[in-house]
Amino acid sequence: MSHHLFLLSPSDTPLYSLTHFSAKPSQAAQSPLSANLPSWSTSAFAGTLTALSGASSVVQASTQGGGVRMGGGQDRHVIQMIANASLDVIEEVVRRDNGMYLKSVDKFNEWTVSAFVTPGNMKFVLLHEGKNDEGIRLFFSEVWELYVKTTLNPFHTAHSGIVSGVFDARVRASARKHL
Amino acid sequence: MEYNAFASLSHFRILLVPVGSISRATFDQWAAEIRTLENLRLSDIPPGTKDEKARFMPSPKSKGYLHLCFPTHPPPSSHYAMSLFRPSLFPLGVIGIASCSHTDSLSSIAAEFNATVKDLFPPDSLYPLAKNCFVFEEDDGTTNLNLGDHLPGLVIIPSMMGNKKENIETLLADLCSNILAEFSTVVNTLESPLGNEYLNATLFPFLPSASDFPRQLVDDEPERLSRVPSQPEHSPVPARRVSTPILGMKRNPSTGPSSPMASARQSTLNVPMARKRQSLIGAASSHGRLFKVLGDLFILAGRTEDASVWYTEALTLFKTSTDSLWHASTLEGLATLSLLDAWSGQGFQTSISTSKEPWGDISERLDQAISLYGRPGPLPEPDQRYDLHAYLYTVAILRHSSLLFAAWAAKGWGPLAFTALMHPGPAPYIPPTLSHPDSHLPRNRDRLSSFSGVTRSQIAAVLSQVHGPWLLHLGHRERIAVLESVAYLYSSLGYHRKEAYILREVVGCIMDLVVCAREEDGRSYLPGIAANGKESGDLGAVAVKGIERSTGNESVLKLVKFVCEMHGIDVEAVTFVNPSTQDEGGAPQDVNADDVQEDPYGWPELQIGIIREALAVAEALPDPPSVAQFSLSALKSLHAVLGDDDQHHMYFTSGKALTAAKRRGETRSIEYWSGRPVVSIELLQPPPSRLLVENPVSVLAQQRSEGAGQISQMTGPFLYNPRKSVTARGSTLVVTDEPLEFVLTLRNPFVFDLEIQNLSLSTSGVAFDMKPISLTIPANSYHPVTLTGKPLEDGSLVIRGCHVQAPGGASREFLLPLATAEEEEHRFRRRSAAACESDRTKYSGLESRSKKSEKRNSTLVASALSKRTIPKFLECTVVPEQPLLRIRWSSLVHGAVMLYNGEKSTLRLTLENVSNLPVDFLRLSFDDSTIGPAQAALAEGDLSIYDAYETEYQLINRPVFSWDREQEDTEIPAGRKVAIVLTCSGKVGCTSGGIYISYGYLHRPQSTLSQPQETFHTRQLSYPVLVTVYHMLECHNMDVFPLDQGGCEETSEDGRAILFKDVEEEGWCLFSIDVRNTYGLPFEVTLNRVQKNAPPTSTTCIVAPGATTRMVLPLKKIQLPEEITSQAIPMLSDRQFVVDKTKLSTAEYKLQRELFWYREELFKSVRGHWREAGGTRSGELSFRQQRMTLPMLATLRTESIRIHLELYRRGSETSEEQISVMRKNGTYHPAPYQFVYLRVRIANLSFQPLVLTADTTVDPADHVIQEGVLSDVPIGRLEKGEERELEAPLCFVACGRFHVQVEARAVDGAVREARVGSATLKVVVSEDNPE
Repeated sequence: MSHHLFLLSPSDTPLYSLTHFSAKPSQAAQSPLSANLPSWSTSAFAGTLTALSGASSVVQASTQGGGVRMGGGQDRHVIQMIANASLDVIEEVVRRDNGMYLKSVDKFNEWTVSAFVTPGNMKFVLLHEGKNDEGIRLFFSEVWELYVKTTLNPFHTAHSGIVSGVFDARVRASARKHL
Repeated sequence: MEYNAFASLSHFRILLVPVGSISRATFDQWAAEIRTLENLRLSDIPPGTKDEKARFMPSPKSKGYLHLCFPTHPPPSSHYAMSLFRPSLFPLGVIGIASCSHTDSLSSIAAEFNATVKDLFPPDSLYPLAKNCFVFEEDDGTTNLNLGDHLPGLVIIPSMMGNKKENIETLLADLCSNILAEFSTVVNTLESPLGNEYLNATLFPFLPSASDFPRQLVDDEPERLSRVPSQPEHSPVPARRVSTPILGMKRNPSTGPSSPMASARQSTLNVPMARKRQSLIGAASSHGRLFKVLGDLFILAGRTEDASVWYTEALTLFKTSTDSLWHASTLEGLATLSLLDAWSGQGFQTSISTSKEPWGDISERLDQAISLYGRPGPLPEPDQRYDLHAYLYTVAILRHSSLLFAAWAAKGWGPLAFTALMHPGPAPYIPPTLSHPDSHLPRNRDRLSSFSGVTRSQIAAVLSQVHGPWLLHLGHRERIAVLESVAYLYSSLGYHRKEAYILREVVGCIMDLVVCAREEDGRSYLPGIAANGKESGDLGAVAVKGIERSTGNESVLKLVKFVCEMHGIDVEAVTFVNPSTQDEGGAPQDVNADDVQEDPYGWPELQIGIIREALAVAEALPDPPSVAQFSLSALKSLHAVLGDDDQHHMYFTSGKALTAAKRRGETRSIEYWSGRPVVSIELLQPPPSRLLVENPVSVLAQQRSEGAGQISQMTGPFLYNPRKSVTARGSTLVVTDEPLEFVLTLRNPFVFDLEIQNLSLSTSGVAFDMKPISLTIPANSYHPVTLTGKPLEDGSLVIRGCHVQAPGGASREFLLPLATAEEEEHRFRRRSAAACESDRTKYSGLESRSKKSEKRNSTLVASALSKRTIPKFLECTVVPEQPLLRIRWSSLVHGAVMLYNGEKSTLRLTLENVSNLPVDFLRLSFDDSTIGPAQAALAEGDLSIYDAYETEYQLINRPVFSWDREQEDTEIPAGRKVAIVLTCSGKVGCTSGGIYISYGYLHRPQSTLSQPQETFHTRQLSYPVLVTVYHMLECHNMDVFPLDQGGCEETSEDGRAILFKDVEEEGWCLFSIDVRNTYGLPFEVTLNRVQKNAPPTSTTCIVAPGATTRMVLPLKKIQLPEEITSQAIPMLSDRQFVVDKTKLSTAEYKLQRELFWYREELFKSVRGHWREAGGTRSGELSFRQQRMTLPMLATLRTESIRIHLELYRRGSETSEEQISVMRKNGTYHPAPYQFVYLRVRIANLSFQPLVLTADTTVDPADHVIQEGVLSDVPIGRLEKGEERELEAPLCFVACGRFHVQVEARAVDGAVREARVGSATLKVVVSEDNPE
């Protein structure tokens, strides 16, 4: 089961991204309609469509026996598209919801999107498959703390990417712990 | 396509087809006319005649409506499997629309109509149930219509007819009546046991064709298919035996569903049939599906009560079975029913009891339906129709989301929502709440949410279920339609990112079809779509691309652009300009336009992916201008994040695309794109020989009186000279018709070599002639390039910036203001304002896209902007043509001169006038390496007066170079040569020098009689000289001694004798100086005495290398009047007067001045010269470094009172004869005990009369006898030059040495006495002295 974390600046630019594979098996039930997809065209545009509709990742899963997905089998571009598109919902929910942790704000293809919006309008977006509300909440609050520590650096601006190795290592550790 | 119509299950579809040679416009007109009839009252429908056929006929009193819907194209063939599952998908009737003109006969129209209908539907299709053809008369009754009346299925609508709409309505009602009658036929077939078996045979059952059907049921089938539906009277009576009584009961049911009655019906219906069929086919089937079909048909027929009854029946049966699709469909039907009830105002059953949203139960049912659709099928049939399954699933979701959306957009449950749900119309329906100008604001959307109680995320949550891999199961048409609807909903919700996501898929679908169609040899891929007039343009593209037209490209590109825009890529950052309308190539770009960095927006990785895709789309269409535009825009706006390969690829793609576009006849050209290429423009200084200097005419007058030019040039009387700075700045001077060189610094931020086709300067003012150049800027670098041009007339030339043109693009002007302090400050302010705001995020998400930044500049940056002044540009003053000189020849070898210190030599320069203008003004100025330090020392002001004088003296009176102007001819005609002679003197410490020749053409003919110009221009030639000065003779220890006569007499050397020939004892002194030769050659040194009151003489000696020689020269004492000595030490230059810091008393001042003036006099009297021993070179020897001390001064100066002492004796007591006492070596030798007389002669040599007294002292006084008083002897007043004598008799009474001293005192006023002169006499008294 994989998780994708993106830290997005208020101008929708990713400052940090992380792909985490947890050992827990994926429990999402597959829709019967996702099976037996036709290979209907070979043009490049059809490939785009296939990828965007989420079909390729499903095919990938089925060939590996439906178990744990390893490696970057999923189309990274599509994952990013989904994360980006989910901002629409996040922005709307933030307008009426006071909480910082927005659990499962959006679902797209097989992905569930949880988000965490800091008071500075930084958005942490996590794409996940299973349901793990409490773990994700803990994970987000740890990432938030780490993020705040990073911003304490006077040389860090709101638009610069986070390249700190320490930050990365700690986020990964936190992901291992909670996800 | 009306997939998003919520109530599509209740829509009574009638297909409109064009027949014959009807034009599209006419067809559209009539179709629109027909479409205005959305609802048809059931009461308007003529009831059928036969009881059997009248099952679906409305009673004349019923209140319901038929909801008509008029598509213009048939359903796709794949849908025919659902002909029983969902009859509402299919056109129940067909109306042909024909227009009638002279040529067409009605029979041919009828035949064509029948053929068309046959063509459109598969042969074994159930539908259409009825057809009719409307022939609209074209013009006033001139056609041959009278014979058409008896053609079946053809109705003529004359153009004369007034109320066409009413007529059409009647005709439609007839048609509907026929269709409703046909419903009964279908149902009758299904109600037969065999029919029911067929119904339950597969997931998507169909009615088999007549041949497969058992005999007893077939009897009516062929007739039904062949029958002309417009004449229902002719159809034979079908045999209905089994279910007539049961269903007959249902024809006019009670207003509410009565459950006991239903259950009773069920039992009577169920039991016998199940048993009966078991034996026949081998499978007992429930009647669930049958009831559901009945419900569907009743809904279509507008009889909601009946439908509701049948649906409820079906539901109870489905609950126990696993027929999930049919179950779900039934739920959908029920949901539609609720809406219909609400719409027709009959009220809803649940609204009274619950506080829930009124659409809650509809929503719940749809939810159930969706989950049922999504559930895996009970048995994986070999021929499982995934496409239909997925289709039903997606349509159900869309139905659900459109319900929520309509409620949201209509601010709740009301007529507005009903309209949206019932009849959204053929075009995408935009509710009025979303179409007003403010509707895109989140505020508005939030308001809608709060009014309706539906949040946008709720709708989105429902809607997002539609998206998944199953979309691939759908057919092309359905997929595009579904995606379109999803995109439409997302767009209306304001979820633009999601919309962009979906639109990417739409574009993917369409482009896939385009590409595939092309692979199939250009044949149209889906012929059905081409006819679809009311589709959005992108679908049109699918069909027309096959025949090489670009009609739909624009729409596809519009989608692509939208996707790009949503991701913050400005694909129109580079636009096309029309060269015919805009020859200058766009407004000149300001220098500051890209100064302030916007915060980056967007997701770089996504942006790159999307721009790549956009390029691929544009290339595949193909649309070369867009390819070029996209790639160049991406390069311009995204080059910071684009990889190297991408940049290269895009650059070459754009180049290819531009040439392709030109080949295809593209007239527009693309504007210049690569940001701002020009960083700076500089005017290259001309070579120094061409450099022009502007001088005021007043300089001319000044220069004539030369004076102390050297120093005044640099150090004026004021520390700050405002005029000086003004003349120093000012604009650059250039000359007409002489080439100018500009250095442009160009920047290429890309990783590829940037080609520039044309680069030229943009100038204003006088005409400027230059040729544009083309060049390539290397990758990722700053590249300087030189542009050359010529001003053609005199005046002012302003260089505004430059024009740049990329290959295949339009030229563009870039302004480049001068970096003045103001400009710099302005820029700095902008930058700091931007930096101040950079970390404060005021706009987030999509609003932070830079495109909207125009509005938001209202803050600091804008305020900085508003203070903009008119920028200053690089400006040159072009002056008329000027002559040009050059140095043709010089007498120096390698420009170097070697001199001994103090040596003078001459230097010749030959100047040639190479222009065709004469030179009538020539001035020379010089510089050497000693001037600088000396002037610096002077400017410092720390020098004592004495030193300052000395330094100035060196500067002014001993220049290294000098030119006697008076001798020279200062006019050089055009093309002639002139030689000038300079003098060069050696001065220690000088290492280099420069000769500057300023020249100009002053007296040029004036074109007008206006006032003469205030300035004139000169050019300067410079000639550097390397100077080497050997310092070979050093002078030390200058001294002045009193001349002692005694020493003089002993000298016997010839030279000295001559030297002292004229020297007297009194009034002379001895000047001596040590001369040392530090050079390797012997020098002959001569000292000359130049004194007015003494004959000139000289002394010469050879100073060997390394030797020091003392040279001596007797000098007559000098006396200077007080007027001279009391003068202050003069300043030779007009430099600033500095108040002396040393505080000296008056006496000290006096002394200082005396010292100064006597020294000057001394140097005037003694001149030193040297000559190379055995050589010809000679020069002057300067003593100026020697200092004068007080004793020297005392010696040198003529005393004011001269006292002469003499001893004599008388020959006898009485005689007057005076015999001088023997004198030897300045000493008198009288005999002891002899009376001698001391004669004291006092002369006043000063310039004023003095009153004197004299004291005489003899030492030792004890051994001398004198007569009278010796001290304080009054002498009286001595006039100037007057002399007086005193005599005193003395007698030395012992042998030995005696000193006689006489002192003169001036009696100044009353008290004070000062010694003004003294003299000493040495006396040696011995026995040997002669008497």
